[in-house]
Amino acid sequence: MSGEDQERFEDYLELEQYIEQLQAGRVAHPPAELTPSQANIYRMAALFRSASPEASEPRPEFAADLQARLEQELQQRPRPASQPQSAQRKKEQKKLHYVSRRALLTGGAAVAASLVVGAGVGSAIEHVVEQPGAANTKDPWAGQLIAAGVPTTWHFVTTLSELGDSAVRFATDTVVGYVILNDGDENSKDKGKIIAISAACTHMGCIVQWQDSDRKYHCPCHGGLFSEYGNIDSRSPIPYIRPLPRFNTKVVDGKIYVEVPLKSAAPTTQDWK
Amino acid sequence: MSTLHNNQGQSHLARAERGIAGMQVTRREEGVQEFQTFYQENLSLIYRYVFSKVGNREEAEDLTSQIFIKAIRGIDTERGPQSMQKWLFQVARTTIADYWRVYYRVSVNSLEELLEAGWEGPAEEEPAAISRRPLERVQRILRALPEHYREVLTCRFLLNLSIKDTALRLSLTEANVKVLQFRALKRAAELEPITTGAL
Repeated sequence: MSGEDQERFEDYLELEQYIEQLQAGRVAHPPAELTPSQANIYRMAALFRSASPEASEPRPEFAADLQARLEQELQQRPRPASQPQSAQRKKEQKKLHYVSRRALLTGGAAVAASLVVGAGVGSAIEHVVEQPGAANTKDPWAGQLIAAGVPTTWHFVTTLSELGDSAVRFATDTVVGYVILNDGDENSKDKGKIIAISAACTHMGCIVQWQDSDRKYHCPCHGGLFSEYGNIDSRSPIPYIRPLPRFNTKVVDGKIYVEVPLKSAAPTTQDWK
Repeated sequence: MSTLHNNQGQSHLARAERGIAGMQVTRREEGVQEFQTFYQENLSLIYRYVFSKVGNREEAEDLTSQIFIKAIRGIDTERGPQSMQKWLFQVARTTIADYWRVYYRVSVNSLEELLEAGWEGPAEEEPAAISRRPLERVQRILRALPEHYREVLTCRFLLNLSIKDTALRLSLTEANVKVLQFRALKRAAELEPITTGAL
């Protein structure tokens, strides 16, 4: 043993806890105040974890979401040179063509992207200002959570009897969201309604996490806060522009369903080789 | 298939007819297509690289997204896939370094030393070398370890066994396993530069 570190009993326990968290697929961070040699141990644990059967490849739905988000980002980048006026019309045609082709290619994934891409909001506005009168004043994703014409399906989430007062998370191949029962504390006329929201933060699209302790959704990327029904929380450090968008819901025989984009159109694993 | 070819042929013709005005649009769309290829070629590399640094899916996804979003904002699609990939990995390294600054609360100086020593991946190497499958790196380290260390790490990480099952399998107490895995990872960290240096 090197003289650098005296091994303590707690060190073994802390490492074991860290490994257990990773094995359970949870987020884990090493304990505070590590020596460089201890830090190396945790770094090794993370490396070895990535060799586990569970690690391997990115999930296809993650890959699709991110791709669509990046494409939107790419489209909204400022142009390197100013567009000649005469090209404007053709560009619009081209653009429309492009959108439909993308919708065709990535299907539900592109739709999922629209929810995930909160990033679009801010930059889309800039874009419109930049080119007044262009076709994109009508953002194809604005307002509508699921674009018209996209096939949807009713995804079963939970039952009324199981739905307590916490948010219940659900994930399909195309979207991640939460279902929560409105207990009327924000607006009494909504009391008793089932609310389904998209978990993709409207800022950058990170997946927000429900916390029971304060009954809010926390965005892991920038610490933003949404209230239990997905509205922008007044204490949010990020001044979001939009609340979390909602899905349609229905209750049949006490079972709660959420209308989500159909998964069959999403790319399969093969597309990401 | 032949219909597809036809369509493509027509669209090429149409592009040509659009002349200079249309050129930029076409360029732009090609940029998007290039980007798609680029994305598909690099997503797994980046994801595996990030996963090997954080060890869990949720953060691996978050950081992978951050890396691509940051990268795309500064990316120059004109410069060809190789320099784009270099740029992407540069962003990946700085993102991982930032992650460690937040979560590895080592004294600042020693963390900076660790980072300089290539903790987030050697700065000079080709992206392909840095992202060399973590699995492969793990295998190399495992082969270099003494047998009892190799066994315990294999059980805990490759086979994903609980501490209890590992103890049973290796005929040890759980307390033994905790000590053993600690020392095995420590030894692995010491071996790592040697095993990667041997490449």
